[in-house]
Amino acid sequence: MASILKKRTFGREASLGIILIFCIASTGFINPRFVTGDGTRDLLSATAIVALLAIGMAPVMIMRHIDLSIASTVGFSAWLVADFCAKNPSFTWWQCFVIGGAVGIAVGVINGLLVAGLRLPSLVVTLGTLYIVRGGVYVVSNSVDYNAQEMPPSLLSLGQKTFAGLLPFPFLMVIILMVIVGWYMKYTKPGRDCYAIGSNPPAADLVGLKVFRRTFLAYIFCGFIAGVAGVFYLMRFAQVDSTAFYGQELAVVAAAVIGGIGLLGGAGTAVGVVIGALLVQTIQGALAALGVDAFWKAAINGFLLIVAIYADRVLARRTEKALLAQRIKERV
Amino acid sequence: MANKGDLLLEMKDVKKRFGGAIALRGTNLSVRAGEIHALLGENGAGKSTMLKILAGVHEHDAGTITFGGAPFISGSPQASIDQGIAVIYQEPSLFLDLSLAENVFVGRQPKKGLAIDWKEAEAQARKLFNELGVELDPKRQARGLSIADQQVVEIAKALSMNASIILMDEPTAALSASEVERLMTVMRNLRAANKAVIFVSHRLDEVFAISDFITVMRDGATVSEKAISNTDLQTVIKEMVGRELTELFPKTDHPIGDVVLEVNDLTNPAYFRNVSFTVRKGEIVALAGLVGSGRSEIARSIFGVDSYETGSVKINNKPLKKNSPITAIAEKIALVPEDRRQQGLFMVAGVNRNISMESFDRLKGRIFLNFKKERALTNQWRENLSIKYADQSDPVDRLSGGNQQKTVLAKWLATDPDLLIVDEPTRGIDVGTKAEVHKLIDKAAGEGKAILMISSELPEVLGMADRIIVMREGRQVTELSRKEATQENVIAAATTGKKGI
Amino acid sequence: MSEKNTFKVRKSWDTAILALLFSVWVLASFTTDNFLSSINVSQIFSNSSEILIMGFAMIFLIITGEIDLSIASILALSSAMLGWSYAAGAPIWLAILIAMAVGTACGFINGFLVTKLGLGSLAVTIGALALYRGIANGILGTNTINEFPDFWTSFGFDTFGKTFIPQTLPVIILFGLFFGLLLHNTAFGRRTLAIGQSPEAARFAGINVVRHKIIVFTFTGFMSGVAGVIYTFRFSTAQADNGIGLELLVISACLLGGVSIFGGVGTMWGLVAGVLLASSVESWLTLQEINAQWRTIVTGILLLISVAAPVMVDKYKRARATLANKA
Repeated sequence: MASILKKRTFGREASLGIILIFCIASTGFINPRFVTGDGTRDLLSATAIVALLAIGMAPVMIMRHIDLSIASTVGFSAWLVADFCAKNPSFTWWQCFVIGGAVGIAVGVINGLLVAGLRLPSLVVTLGTLYIVRGGVYVVSNSVDYNAQEMPPSLLSLGQKTFAGLLPFPFLMVIILMVIVGWYMKYTKPGRDCYAIGSNPPAADLVGLKVFRRTFLAYIFCGFIAGVAGVFYLMRFAQVDSTAFYGQELAVVAAAVIGGIGLLGGAGTAVGVVIGALLVQTIQGALAALGVDAFWKAAINGFLLIVAIYADRVLARRTEKALLAQRIKERV
Repeated sequence: MANKGDLLLEMKDVKKRFGGAIALRGTNLSVRAGEIHALLGENGAGKSTMLKILAGVHEHDAGTITFGGAPFISGSPQASIDQGIAVIYQEPSLFLDLSLAENVFVGRQPKKGLAIDWKEAEAQARKLFNELGVELDPKRQARGLSIADQQVVEIAKALSMNASIILMDEPTAALSASEVERLMTVMRNLRAANKAVIFVSHRLDEVFAISDFITVMRDGATVSEKAISNTDLQTVIKEMVGRELTELFPKTDHPIGDVVLEVNDLTNPAYFRNVSFTVRKGEIVALAGLVGSGRSEIARSIFGVDSYETGSVKINNKPLKKNSPITAIAEKIALVPEDRRQQGLFMVAGVNRNISMESFDRLKGRIFLNFKKERALTNQWRENLSIKYADQSDPVDRLSGGNQQKTVLAKWLATDPDLLIVDEPTRGIDVGTKAEVHKLIDKAAGEGKAILMISSELPEVLGMADRIIVMREGRQVTELSRKEATQENVIAAATTGKKGI
Repeated sequence: MSEKNTFKVRKSWDTAILALLFSVWVLASFTTDNFLSSINVSQIFSNSSEILIMGFAMIFLIITGEIDLSIASILALSSAMLGWSYAAGAPIWLAILIAMAVGTACGFINGFLVTKLGLGSLAVTIGALALYRGIANGILGTNTINEFPDFWTSFGFDTFGKTFIPQTLPVIILFGLFFGLLLHNTAFGRRTLAIGQSPEAARFAGINVVRHKIIVFTFTGFMSGVAGVIYTFRFSTAQADNGIGLELLVISACLLGGVSIFGGVGTMWGLVAGVLLASSVESWLTLQEINAQWRTIVTGILLLISVAAPVMVDKYKRARATLANKA
C-alpha cells in the first residue's frame, strides 16, 4: 500500500515530464523549428514569467489558499517600474527589481492581513484585490504607455542574455528559485508547516503551528514574486500599458494545478509547478505551431485548467479506491 | 521528572461561559504523576470544555490552575504543548497528506545543520512505534490508516513531546475489542513511566478496568473525586445522573403483524457481509454490536444514502431500489441517523423548517408552501412530543440535545412511516428525555410501525427490543429473542463471535 | 456557537443594508443636483439589469454553497452567439433563442463538471470563465456586431414613453418574482437552503443534491444567457469582451445583500437591496464626476467589505462576550 501512495506523490513529476516530452516531440515532428535551439529558447522565455509566478504561489496553494491578484500585481509593478525609469533615466536594472519587489510586497501584505488575519475566504479576498490593484493601474497610468526607449538598457540587455546557449536569463532565475523553494519546502520547519496547514487546517491550530505567520508570509512571498515578475515582464516585452498581463492568473493556477498542487492543499512541489508551466506553454506553442488562431488561446487555457482539475480528481479517487480495497482485504 | 504520586495538575473552581451558556460553574480536578485518571459525566457535563481549557483551545474565565507547581499558562495550544500537555482528541487530527514520521514530529522536526534530518525523524518514529508495540512504516502517508493506528500515531506524538500529562477524549469510542486492549497496555506503560493520563470514556467497564482515580462531573461542576478503591459502578452512575435510575424502558407488548422489511444476503464488502433479517409490523428489532461492526452502514444502505454490492431489500413485499433515499422515503421508510447535528438536522434553520422538511406535499397549496399549515404542523408535533423551544423559528442549534433528537423524530413521524430506523436514538441526551424517546419509540411500534433500532447501550437494547441481532465485524453472529437475551450473551456474541455461553 | 452568532448577525445585516441604501440616496441627493432625477433613476435601474438578472439565479447557487465565476463569460458567449447567428442571417427570434440555449448549455456543463465529476466549483468555473470567453473570442475575434432590429435595441435601451421606467424593467420584475417565490415559498427553495446549511443532512433528508445543484447551475446559465441578450440590445453591440468582470459585481451584490459565502443563508430582497446599493454608489460616483477608472477599485472594495464586515462584527461581538464573562 505504501507503494501506491508513494507512486502517487513521486510519479506525478515523472509522468508530467513524460507528457511534456511527448508534446514537444510530436509538435517537433510537425514543425521542426519547435525543437531547435531557437524554439527551445522561445519556449523557455515564454514560460519564465508564468513559472516564476507559479513557484511564488506554490506555498499559498499548498496551504489551501489561492491568490488571484497576482496578474494585477504584475501589471501594477511593471507599469510603476517603467514609470520610475522614465522619470529617472539614471536607473539601472537592480533598482527596477527593488521597486517591483516593494510593490509586490505591499499587495502581499494586504492579502495576507485579510486572509491570515481575518481568516476571510482567500478566493473572494484576492478576487477583490485583483480588481482593486488593476483599478489602481488604470488610475495611476491614466492611459499612459511606456516603450523600450524609456527603459534602462541594462535591464533590457539582461533579458536578452542566454546561458549555455539555451538558457535565457529569466528561466535561469526560475531554475534557481525552483531549487531554493523546493529545498525550503522540503527541509525546513516553516516549509513543512505549510504542508501541514494545508493538509488539515484545524489540526494545525491544535498542534500549535503558527498559522497566521506562515499564511501571512506566504502571501508576502507570493506578492513579492509577482512584483519581481512585473520586471521580467518589462524585460520580455519592453513595453507596458494598463492592461499588462490582464487575466493571466488563470494560466498560473492552471500551471500549478497541472503541476500537482491539489486545490485541497497539502501536496505539490516547486519542480512540479515548473513542469506544469512548461507543459501549458508547450501546448499553447504547439497549437500555434499547428496554426490554431491566437484568439482561441484563452479558451485553451480554460480547457486545460478544467482537464487538470479533472485529472487531479481522478488520481485522488484512484488512491481512495486502492485504500478501500486494502481495507476490505484486511477485513477478510 | 515528577515522582510517582506528586501532585501534577490542580484545577480549582474553574469557570467558563460561552455567550449565555454556562459550561463550567466551578470545577475541581487534581491529577498526580503516574496516575490514570478517569473523567466521567453525561454528555454536556463539561468534560470536553475542561480538556479544551487544558489543551489551550479555550481560556477559562475564572478559577486557578496549577500545573507542575507553577501557574498554568492558558489560551494557546502552543503554550500547552510547551508546558508538557498532550491531547488526543476523539477524532484523531492527523495530517493525512504527510508521512507518519512527519505527523509525529510536526513543528518539532529534528535538524541537522539548517535542514530537517528526515532519516533521524524516521528512525525516532520507528522507535516510538516499536515501544508502543505496533508495526507501522514511518515513511507511509497517514491517509488510509485505521482509527486505531491513527491514535497510536497521536500517542507517539505525545511521547515524542515528552509530555508529562496526556489527555484522551473518548479514545476507545471507535475501537474494536482487541484495539482497546492494546490501548490499555499503552496506557499502563505510560503510567509505569510516571506520566499522568486523563481519559474521558462512556464505557464504564473500561474505566473500572484501568483507572486509578475517578472524577465525576455533572452540569459543569465536580460532584465527586474518589480513588477507584473507594467507589463502585452503581455509585458512579448515581453520581453521573444525579438521581436513582428509574424505569427507563417502558416497553409494552404489541401484536406483531406482517413482515415490513426483508433484508436478504446484503453485502458491502467494506462494511458488512451476508446480512439477512426481517422486521415485522409492531416489532422492535435491535442491531447490537460494537461501534464499527457495520450496524449503521446496514441502516444507511437500506435507506439508500449508502450503497451495497449484492443482496436485496424488500419493503412491504416490494423490492426496494438501491441507493435512493427518495424511493425509500416514498416507500415510507424513515431514518433517524446516528449523528443528529451533521446528518439529522439543519442546525441554523428553525424548528419549524426542520420538522416540515419531509412534509412539503402536505404543506403545499397549489404551488406554494402554506406557512399557516407549517405552523400548525409544528405545533402539533410540539404537543405530541413535548418539544421545548421558545419560538418556532428558533434555530435548532439553540435547543438541548434531547429536544433536538425529538425534532428529528417529529420530522420523520410526520411522514407516518411504515418502517422507522433509529440509529443511536438516545446518544448524548439526558436521562429524563431518554425515557421519553423510548416511550415514543414504543408508541410508534404500538401504532403498527416496524422499528429497526441500532444502539450501543446494552440496557437500551435489552429493554426495548423484541428481537436482537448481534453483529461482529460486519457479520451477523446470532439472533436472540427478548427472552433469551441477557447482558452476558449479547456481549459475548458481540466481542467473541460465539453464540451464547 | 459561531453558527448561531453568524445567524444573528445576518438578520441585522438585512436592516443595516437597507439603512445604508437609504443613506446613500439621501447623501447623494444632497451632494448632487440630479441623483433622484428621473433620467438618473432610470439609469440606475438599467445599469443594474444584467446584475439583477444573473443575481436572481446566482443567489441560489451561492446558497447551495457553490459558486459560478463564469457567468460574465456566459453572458459574452451568448451575446456573441446572438450577434454571430443574426449576422449569419438567422431571424432575430432564432438568434435570441440560440443565445439563451447556449447560456443554458454552459450552465449545465458547469453543473455537470461540479456535481457528476465532483470538481470544486471555484476552480472549475475559473476554467470555464476562460473557456467560454475564449470561445466568444474565437468566434468573433475583434469583430463587433452592432446592427440589430430597432424594435429590440429600443427594448434594450428606451423607457416607456416619457416615464423613467426602462422597458426591460417589467421583464426583470417578472424574473425577480419568479425566483423570489421559488426561493422563499416553494419546496425547491427550502431544499436549496437546506443543501447549503448541511449537504450531508440534505442527503439524509432524501434531497437529490446532485440533481438539485445541476438544476441551479443550469438556471444560472440560462439567466446569464438572458442577461447576454439584454446586454447586447442595451448597448447594441455583440463583442467578445462584453460584460467583462460582471461576475464580481454579481457576487459582491449577493454578499452585500446578506447572502453567506459559506452557503445556507440568503434572501431575494436582500439581493435586490445589495444590487441597488452597488449601482447607486456607482451612479453617485459618476455624478460626482469621479473618474470612471475608480469604479474597478470601488467594486473590489465593496466586495472586500461585504465579505469582511460580517466576520468582523461577529469577532467584535464574541470579544465583547468574552470580556463580559471575565468581568
